[in-house]
Amino acid sequence: MRKGSKVFLSFVLSGSLLMGCGDEDANDTELIQPGDATDEVDDSAAPDTDIDTDTDTDTDTDTDSDEEIEISFWHFDPGERMDVYQEAINRFEEENQNITINMLQIPNDEYKQRVVVSMSGDDSPDLFASWGGGWLEEFVDSGQVMDLTDSDIDLDRFIDVALENSVFDDRVYGVPLGISVYNFFYNTEIFEEYGLEEPETYEDLLEIIDTLNDNDIYPIALANQPMWPGAFYMMYFADRVGGEDAFNDAWRREGGSWDDEAFVRAGELIQDLVERDAFNPGFNGLPYDAGSARQLIYSDQAAMMLMTGGFVNNVRDEYPEFEDKMGVFQFPALEEGEGDPSNLAAGVSPTWSVKEGTEHPEAVISFLNTLTDLETAQDYVNRSGNVVAIEGVDVEDPWVSIFTEWVNEANSIQFPYDQTLPPELAEVHLNTTYDLFGMSITPQEAAEAMEQRAQEIE
Amino acid sequence: MAQQADVLTEAKLQKKKDRNNTRLTIAIFLLPAILTYLVFILYPIFDTFVISLYRWNGISPTRTFVGLDNYTTLLQESRFWFAFRNNMYVVLLSIFVQIPLGLVMALVLFSKIKGKKILNVLFFLPYLMSTVAVGLLWIFMYDPVNGPVNRLFNLFGMQSVHWLAGGTSSLIAILIVIAWQFAPFYMILFRAAMVGIPEEHYESAEIDGASETQKFFYITLPSIMPTIVSSSILAVVGSLKTFAIFYVMTGGGSGISTDILGTFMYRQAFINFNMGYSSAIAAIMFIVALISVIIIQLIDYRRRNK
Repeated sequence: MRKGSKVFLSFVLSGSLLMGCGDEDANDTELIQPGDATDEVDDSAAPDTDIDTDTDTDTDTDTDSDEEIEISFWHFDPGERMDVYQEAINRFEEENQNITINMLQIPNDEYKQRVVVSMSGDDSPDLFASWGGGWLEEFVDSGQVMDLTDSDIDLDRFIDVALENSVFDDRVYGVPLGISVYNFFYNTEIFEEYGLEEPETYEDLLEIIDTLNDNDIYPIALANQPMWPGAFYMMYFADRVGGEDAFNDAWRREGGSWDDEAFVRAGELIQDLVERDAFNPGFNGLPYDAGSARQLIYSDQAAMMLMTGGFVNNVRDEYPEFEDKMGVFQFPALEEGEGDPSNLAAGVSPTWSVKEGTEHPEAVISFLNTLTDLETAQDYVNRSGNVVAIEGVDVEDPWVSIFTEWVNEANSIQFPYDQTLPPELAEVHLNTTYDLFGMSITPQEAAEAMEQRAQEIE
Repeated sequence: MAQQADVLTEAKLQKKKDRNNTRLTIAIFLLPAILTYLVFILYPIFDTFVISLYRWNGISPTRTFVGLDNYTTLLQESRFWFAFRNNMYVVLLSIFVQIPLGLVMALVLFSKIKGKKILNVLFFLPYLMSTVAVGLLWIFMYDPVNGPVNRLFNLFGMQSVHWLAGGTSSLIAILIVIAWQFAPFYMILFRAAMVGIPEEHYESAEIDGASETQKFFYITLPSIMPTIVSSSILAVVGSLKTFAIFYVMTGGGSGISTDILGTFMYRQAFINFNMGYSSAIAAIMFIVALISVIIIQLIDYRRRNK
């Protein structure tokens, strides 16, 4: 008898130990969120349940203007950008007294996971931000995103190339607000000191790298642990070698493949840069968000960095003095390649989408119009450091006007592979490019791995 | 006579009633805990097993039943075994480095040296910090250019190591951090156990002329054996479910060289949209943890019966 209970007890004990692990995991993930994020989640979860009970009693909510409506709205932008959204919300709530918008900002890296979890349950947001592309398509395919093609939104005021990023099978599933251009930022003081000029061609860039190396300055700062910063080089090299069709043909399976010359050569060029010591040491172990690469730039230890327009935001936030000596140039032309040097790499961020089956479609669409109207767009372009995807806005910010000019003159715009491709292929792209930087794989092997996974998915 | 019997049965009945009442009270008090346990622990575990039998992307309203397909694919995938191997390194580290280290630290604090209080705080401090903070702290410690660890290396004329950039070195780097962070936890357990050892044992050992080493092996170690066993269980389970430190420091990165089951599962579920597949990983983690705990319990059970 006692033995039996002992065995039972030990079983329960082991069970509770295992159960402890579940608990602690939950705690750990909460810890990752900085600050108030957790509290805000709770806030947003509560109104959702309110909505549910409302609709049980009253079905035609949208026509009844006295009806209290709550809309949940999720995005991933911190700082000034979030303030711009908040001001749009204030304007909208003033015009529509009966509607409350519950905004929730979730940090970038965690955002995707949070949306996935919410979509699998019933508490997904009415309106949410994404980067368009393959990630959004995954939700569209699962019937979770509302078709906005025939909704009460004037689609003509969006810049076509950005809007297309959330068009699947000729239907529109999201409307863009910002375009983040990827380009080199550099330290003009260092360039002056060593008599360097903005490179026109890739040869120029290589010379700059050699000069800087001779003077014990890290030529290019790179924090490649999250893998996307290095992937920018793959995007640009593949484009400069094979033109914009290289990616499109391989991705759409229209006569191209991932082991085409363009991608193999791009891998070789990446490894050539690594061998030239173009980057700060240990770049593959540095996380971008923690800021060690930006620190190298701010402290004059490194001279250049290929980054998104978000870098402008970072500088203003972290070390405003640097803005005075900051310069920008586009990824240089590659003589051996066929790519047009005006081709840009850029990301659409954010793109707004509406949940399929939202309780108050008219209210959400109406808010979406406020969130993408000229006033919001103007605020956004003045304060975000990003190009805006809405036409008819005056650009005053010096950096944004340069970026806007590039976008207007660009022969084509390449969106990041990892956001365009389906997630599983995107992962192979990121991993192989990372391994190319780490010199643990040959360009040929990387290209073949990519092609093999593409064929498996097909 | 008859009356007496009646009184007796009545008393018996009353007793029985009382007992039933007590049982009811106990049950009512236990109910909240049991309900929480059922709803938030047992049901999710059960549901994980159910989901693992489906192909499901985690967001779609429909899912396809595929039986044990997820498991057969998983067991054939080299990346799973790679992640599993890394987990095993963490298990070995916890048992053969952290627990002995914790024991040594406890012994130091138990000996008659000066500055014990300061040492106590110093030893225990790492465990008090949140794992994410520890991860970020060590990212800066390991920084290839400005990090103190490499500065120290350079001071002694050694080459800088790109700790978190290479496959093996990043794994070693993280294992060091784990040992640093969790050894104090075992130290506290051992200290508590050592405090409970009666002083008379040591006194009589001293009278018998036992050396310090003998005292340790014949008194201290056997007395804290139960603690060592429960520490091992905690170490094994904790190592299998470890996630946060890897997620923060490398995200399973350097390619996949520091992938562990936790990060592998996370990626499958939330990046690659394979909720069914990742549930299979979770299920296997659960089974492995359960089996290890049962084995340790059995070993301990036999040891106690000897």
